[in-house]
Amino acid sequence: MVENSPSPLPERAIYGFVLFLSSQFGFILYLVWAFIPESWLNSLGLTYWPQKYWAVALPVYLLIAVVIGYVLLFGINMMSTSPLNSIHTITDNYAKNQQWKNYQEDAIPALRDVPISEVNRMFFLETQELNTHN
Amino acid sequence: MEDEKSFSDICGGRVVLRRRYYSPYCREFGLSSARLSLRSLTAVTCAVWLAAYGLFTLCENSMILSAAIFITIIGLLGYLHFVKIDQETLLIIDSLGIQMTSSYASGKESTTFIEMDKVKDVIINEAIYMQKVIYYLCILLKDPGKPHEISQVVPVFQSAKPRLDCLIEVYRSCQEILAHQKATSTSP
Repeated sequence: MVENSPSPLPERAIYGFVLFLSSQFGFILYLVWAFIPESWLNSLGLTYWPQKYWAVALPVYLLIAVVIGYVLLFGINMMSTSPLNSIHTITDNYAKNQQWKNYQEDAIPALRDVPISEVNRMFFLETQELNTHN
Repeated sequence: MEDEKSFSDICGGRVVLRRRYYSPYCREFGLSSARLSLRSLTAVTCAVWLAAYGLFTLCENSMILSAAIFITIIGLLGYLHFVKIDQETLLIIDSLGIQMTSSYASGKESTTFIEMDKVKDVIINEAIYMQKVIYYLCILLKDPGKPHEISQVVPVFQSAKPRLDCLIEVYRSCQEILAHQKATSTSP
């Protein structure tokens, strides 16, 4: 697929360079706003800029959001685990609607989802025979 | 026929499985967990009272101390009556159904009964519980109209949570009864 390859293309080079220039410009602008005193900026004519309080507050907000993101992700993970009485621990729509292929001699059997009763019987009821075979 | 055997639960504590065979195809399995220990009760009470005393030295309001005593008493009674399950029993009667009983530490008992028509199978399933993967015994229910579909999953022994060796014993016993029930029910 020509459209989806990760190879370098002229358009991608242009995007990258524009992003590089704008991120450097944004960073220099942030430093200028944070360090140059208000009076100098006003004398240059730039009066309607946000309070300098935000130059410190926004990075702190961002870092706290990242830390809370760790805790939140863990919590969302635990909340979306199926409870023990859910049918999703046993089967789902794909397994219910699967098609059964006929058995062919000397061929590898087709892949299918084995019902849990059969699996249980094999594991827990017939242990004596398995041990004697070994 | 009656016997008792000691197993361990998923946290390493001790549970006792008591089996009673009332008749060849009517069996009862009782799982008792350890009773509320004096050590944990003392620890919780001391922690709550020390915290209350700390708060009291901070704000000099003596209502905090009486409130702490009240909370401890009410909390203990509520815990014994609503949370602490001492024994869980599973009674299987061939051709009738399955009955699950939980008896709480305060003496309260809660019972659930499932008719044999609704029971599809009794299996040992594995699932993720908190940060572990545990084995637990559950009863699969079917809708009488659609006998090949599982309509509901009912886990048993939810508060005792025994490990696999105990579950295998109960599973084998239940499968004997269910096999006999299917054999006798298909012949009209």
